[in-house]
Amino acid sequence: MITSVLTQFVALARSAGLNFGFLIESYERGVWLHGIVVTLELSGLAAIASLAAGLALALAATSPRRWLSGAARALIGLTRNTPTLVQLYCAFLVLNSLINDAIGGAQHNPLTPFAWVLIVIAIHIGAFHAESLRAGLEAVPKPTLEAAAALGFGPRPTLLLIRLPLALRTALPSLTNNMINLIKLTSIGSAIAVGEVTYASIMIWSQHDNVVELMILILALFSGLNMLVDRLGRRIETWLGTPGYGL
Amino acid sequence: MTLPRKSACRLFLLLGLALATQGAAAQSTLDRIQAKGSVAIGVMLSGPPYGTIDPNDRQPFGYNIDLARELARRLGTTASLVEVTPPNRVQFLQQGKVDVLIANMQWSAERAEILDFVPTAYDETGGAPVTRRDSPIRRWEDLRGQTVCVSQGSSYAKPLTELYGAQVAGYPGMAESLLALKGGNCVAAVHDGALVRHVVTDNPEWADYTIPIGTQIAASPSVIWLRKGDAALRQALDAIVRNLHRSGWLVEHARQSHLATDGFLDRLHDQALAGQL
Repeated sequence: MITSVLTQFVALARSAGLNFGFLIESYERGVWLHGIVVTLELSGLAAIASLAAGLALALAATSPRRWLSGAARALIGLTRNTPTLVQLYCAFLVLNSLINDAIGGAQHNPLTPFAWVLIVIAIHIGAFHAESLRAGLEAVPKPTLEAAAALGFGPRPTLLLIRLPLALRTALPSLTNNMINLIKLTSIGSAIAVGEVTYASIMIWSQHDNVVELMILILALFSGLNMLVDRLGRRIETWLGTPGYGL
Repeated sequence: MTLPRKSACRLFLLLGLALATQGAAAQSTLDRIQAKGSVAIGVMLSGPPYGTIDPNDRQPFGYNIDLARELARRLGTTASLVEVTPPNRVQFLQQGKVDVLIANMQWSAERAEILDFVPTAYDETGGAPVTRRDSPIRRWEDLRGQTVCVSQGSSYAKPLTELYGAQVAGYPGMAESLLALKGGNCVAAVHDGALVRHVVTDNPEWADYTIPIGTQIAASPSVIWLRKGDAALRQALDAIVRNLHRSGWLVEHARQSHLATDGFLDRLHDQALAGQL
């Protein structure tokens, strides 16, 4: 049933001058659909990893210990200021080779291209998350923290029960912003042959020269995905809304 | 909703202008080239012997460059060379950024549906693999289930997957593909035979690498590509290419560029002299 719908769609598109022929060829369709799956996997895993990295970096950057906050600021600066694609090439084509040489051969290396893209995106967007969370942490009113100290809250309970919850609510729109960027950033996997949807599309259009058709599909896919993320962000904002903090 | 009168007038004016310029573009490409005095030719600068940039004077040189300049000269114009890459060459041609493609593009039925080509070929090339010297790959069949690096847009991706069951990984260009090979991300990198021969021989960086298989994959003639419907230009270029085969110009320039074609150009030269081309 699906194949007959696809065949009709392809025929209709052909009459409009668009070549979607790869959708009825099972191998290429499989490659392209697998690309969507890989994009979703990469986005999901990178989202979680980047939040963890961002939280760690933000806490380090706002720490009273000068060596810790200095190191965190340096790392955030380095990753934010350089292009992600360049970082990926450095990591995969240079760092990976050095690791291979150090451990005596590529067959012992557990890091696949997918893993490298995940690491690079997680750290890069983690730096952006760190700045958003830092803004949130610094937005917690000083009187609130003084009241907490007066009531006998130690540093860790203050962090977990007061600072982080309020920081998260303030930073949420910015975090959603970064997540949308993250999903679009997964496209850099196409430069190192990770099979996400951009790579799958490039491999198809370089055989059939149907760039426009694939661009339409990619744009529709990413728009849809990012719209969902935006909606989810808003839902969470409403759910977490606190009186006096925008609600 | 009806448009207010002013916007409607502007809209029709724009449409009229657009249609008028369309009419002007119906002039054939050959006429336009000769009127302008220069032809935009897309070439690939992926490396010697086909095309590369001389570091001393920053000018492109190579077999494809020589051919492009000679074709332009025989058309009575100058060549304006535009660098193209496999992912964008067809789009550049279709959008008019270039009028002619001399980009190592082999003939295929699918391409022939959307583009026109000059029937006489100027080169024949197939894919050759680069592997480490200590690799066990000796035949094409040994690549089954192994990761093989190619460049995105390579014509060897399909035969490698379909004929030999290799796992193809496409990198943005030959340079990235070879780097990935060096980093151990694939067992072999398959590119145009003439290009990899240049990389592997006389290069101390690639001393640990070799071409283990003597035959080439998907060997097929490279032809000059044009936009669909450019009949006048196609006939003009075909006559010129045949002439270049007959006079031995192509054989001579291939030799100068150190391009080895396994006798393909010599065969065509002999055929042209015998009047069979």
